[in-house]
Amino acid sequence: MSDPILSVKDMEKTYVGGVHAVRGVSFDVLEGESLAIIGSSGSGKSTVLRCINRLIEPTKGVVRLKGEQINTPASNINSVRSRIGMVFQSFELFAHLKVIDNVSLGLIHVRGMSRDKAREVAKQVLDRVDMLDRTDAYPGNLSGGQKQRVAIARALAMKPEVMLFDEPTSALDPELIGSVLETIRGLAEEGMTMVVVTHEIGFARDVADRVLYMDEGVVAEEGPSSIIDEPKSERMRAFLSSINE
Amino acid sequence: MVDSGTESDLLSAEALNGEMWAFGTGGIAGKSLDGGLTWQFDNFGTHDWTHSDSGFDSIAIASTSGAVIIIEEIGEGEEDIHDDIPPVPTQERVNAIALTGSQSLVAVGHSGEIWQFDGVTWNNRSMGGVEDLLSISFLDSNAGLISGQGGTILATSDGGVTWDYRDAPNEVSSSNISLVEYYSDIRAYAITEQGHILKSSKQGSVSVGFVWSIVEIEREYPPGGGDDFLPGGIDLDYQVNSMEVIGQFKMVLAGPKGYLALSLDGGNIVSQQMIPVSNETSFHAVAMQDGFNGVAVGDDGVILRTENAGAEEFVGFEVIDFNDFGQFVDYSKERLIDGLVATAKIVLFGIAMGFSIGIILSMLKTSPTSLKNVAQTNRFQLITFALLPFWALFQLALAIINGILLLLRSGLGLPTKSLENPIGIQISELRQKSAQIAANKPLNITAIRLVGSVLLVLGFFQIFSTLDEIRALNLDGWEHIYAPVGSPASFALILLGIALIILGVVFASCNGDFSIKDLHWGASKRKFSINPWGIRPLNTIATVYTDIFRNTPLIVQFMFIHFGFELGRRIQEPGLELFNFDYLEGHANFLTNIIVTYDTNPDSLAYGRPIGGILEDRAYISAIFALGLNSGAYQCETIRGAIAAIPSGQMEAGRSIGLNYMQTMRLVIMPQAVRICIPPLGNEMVNLVLNSSLAMVIGYAEITRQGKLIIATTFQIFWTWGMVMISYFVITWSLALFLRYLEEKTRIPGLGISGGA
Repeated sequence: MSDPILSVKDMEKTYVGGVHAVRGVSFDVLEGESLAIIGSSGSGKSTVLRCINRLIEPTKGVVRLKGEQINTPASNINSVRSRIGMVFQSFELFAHLKVIDNVSLGLIHVRGMSRDKAREVAKQVLDRVDMLDRTDAYPGNLSGGQKQRVAIARALAMKPEVMLFDEPTSALDPELIGSVLETIRGLAEEGMTMVVVTHEIGFARDVADRVLYMDEGVVAEEGPSSIIDEPKSERMRAFLSSINE
Repeated sequence: MVDSGTESDLLSAEALNGEMWAFGTGGIAGKSLDGGLTWQFDNFGTHDWTHSDSGFDSIAIASTSGAVIIIEEIGEGEEDIHDDIPPVPTQERVNAIALTGSQSLVAVGHSGEIWQFDGVTWNNRSMGGVEDLLSISFLDSNAGLISGQGGTILATSDGGVTWDYRDAPNEVSSSNISLVEYYSDIRAYAITEQGHILKSSKQGSVSVGFVWSIVEIEREYPPGGGDDFLPGGIDLDYQVNSMEVIGQFKMVLAGPKGYLALSLDGGNIVSQQMIPVSNETSFHAVAMQDGFNGVAVGDDGVILRTENAGAEEFVGFEVIDFNDFGQFVDYSKERLIDGLVATAKIVLFGIAMGFSIGIILSMLKTSPTSLKNVAQTNRFQLITFALLPFWALFQLALAIINGILLLLRSGLGLPTKSLENPIGIQISELRQKSAQIAANKPLNITAIRLVGSVLLVLGFFQIFSTLDEIRALNLDGWEHIYAPVGSPASFALILLGIALIILGVVFASCNGDFSIKDLHWGASKRKFSINPWGIRPLNTIATVYTDIFRNTPLIVQFMFIHFGFELGRRIQEPGLELFNFDYLEGHANFLTNIIVTYDTNPDSLAYGRPIGGILEDRAYISAIFALGLNSGAYQCETIRGAIAAIPSGQMEAGRSIGLNYMQTMRLVIMPQAVRICIPPLGNEMVNLVLNSSLAMVIGYAEITRQGKLIIATTFQIFWTWGMVMISYFVITWSLALFLRYLEEKTRIPGLGISGGA
């Protein structure tokens, strides 16, 4: 068994105000593996994800990227974040920038590429998510699915080692979900390591190598994607049946 | 004031046989048959007709380049134009001409040139002198006078063929005698560039021109008369362009800056006349038909007409009728426009300053740096901060050196190589060290407690050592709220002490736990939370600033800043010291021109004094600062509101691709926030324009103050304030239109609710 690319150990997070959102979560993600985190709202899924790239500082625990601890002041958080792509539920595209500039912003200002080079790379990535024909559009003029694919391209452009997806399809109309899921599926098949927080149980079942069910800040059940069909714990069974209704 | 129908500068004028003539730039020539009421203008060639003389039923006009035209009267309102006169064969320039007959004249010019025209050819009658000859006047066809540089006076008695030197008074032996007028066989006048009036009279058998004396000017009356006058001395304070003698003792003088003066006693008492046009108008010539009727002509086609020169001592020229709206507007518009420009100047600088302050303050207010972050800094980070200015300095110098190197090496075909910033290397090493420390020993609690204790001691020491100064103010009870004014320094020190004590308590009580503390109030169940480590020092500084400026009236701020704190003086004095006249001489460029410009004309009264730029006027400096500082406080809140309106996800998204906090602010948050806050900022800018009217309380001549001054002269209250209101409306409305355009231009497609047109 190879070393995990991403390893989370005993992560805890208590928010200011005392909400204990994450109570000791540990998991590893191997290279090329895709991990789905499912669970009901408020179970700490998104917090875990944000604690990984320190958009939220975990209260306790260790996060390692390729064996190197990244949640210490010693690690350069900006360079760490540029190695971890993140896709948000509400897209969070930069509304004042064109699609191509959204994707090339990080390349120019973080990777220090020249403007022309960055645009070239951005075009390749946009081609990968099938958005090459809308490079000069503003995010406001795109559909939700298109926005999310641009957001994926923005994260991909930085050539991340791990991609984090925070409910990438929750804000989309059902008919738009397909194209986004297709894109993510394509990434998974290309061997991208990814952690996906999702409510799309079907997607988790099809794409994820492993599934993590979280409830009230702890990992309630963990296993290959087959556990979705045969949940062991009562809580997960209740959760799945509530979704399927 | 007469409607001349021309905008060209009128340079000379003559009155002849009941007709009035005026000549000007670009060959313009006008004639009036009704004593100057109505004018017909025509073009005589394209020369600037600077010089003219009349007599012998003819008018001669000439340009400085030597072109000459003679206009010969042949009947009532009819004339022959002789434009085939050969030009004066001058070497340099013609300074004056005088007719000696209907077809003959004499011209004088630079370097002693004298040319006599006998109707056919020009004869050189130069004396061999080198002084510039400036003016010539003939009494009849034989007797004439010339004046010039260095006190030169020449006289002829044979129509200009031969000339003799005459002596000017010693006082003016080195002055330039710019005008001479041979009025009668017993009287001639001359005037120097400094304004000495010279008089020559026939004394016994000695004819005019031999003996000259300086007229003692007893009184100079300003326009409008009254009983106030200035003691004159031996010269006028004006450089006179034209002198028209209309009697043995009566003369009219005209000059730049609206100077039009009358003397009834040969120059002893000179009263300046009220004029119905701008005080900036330059008058070039006066032509009088007789002792009372005449015109004065000047820049921009201005023709003033008088029918009673000297009839009333102080009001020689036509007075404006302020009850006539047209004349009132004509009078007040220039003042209003001056005010408009003055307002625009403080508004522009005020907006720029306010916006910069607003951006900085709003960034401070939203910055997440808290005491926790401060406590977590270690010594290497502190050294890094201290080194940053030096790094920037090196970086700047290196950028220039590298640029030059690049040019040189690429010019020589060598491989390009650039120099590294040595401090940059140091800093990156320090950062690594600090990162190691942070990793191995995230928090040095002992050090933090030690720093806290030191701060605590310093704070108490500070307070107790300055309390005596507050006590010395002899305040009683509530009067203590005025202590900040009584002793600003000690009050600031006490505030500093309190801040140090708070910091000290927080730091000294540090145990590595930065969370919120819940405190229980005695036995009761009441609970309250304190979050000392969440105190954001940058936010506190910005909050204090905005609180001070938003909770005091702007008019009081104006007066406190200008009269109380004397900000204008405090900036002007060192500013002028730095950008002094000698330094700027030769170094002036458009940037220093914004700061200050000096009068560089050695002949001007204001020579060497600041005449433009921000540093010229203390009230101007104070007004910019009062408006800018005040507006900054409001703009800060507006911009902060816009920043708060940006979804927090945008910051997360920016950080998630690896941008740091400042990069995300600069590249992601601010560009969107500024777009959002264009409408409220427009509000604030319009407010700033309107608030600028308060600058009148510190004596800044902006538009409202100009309105008051206009009322002081005209007593037209309704019209004046109405015009002031319209002027403000024009500024603010065009500003609003511009902002609307800007909003439309910068609108992000597909974002926001579009409210239609």
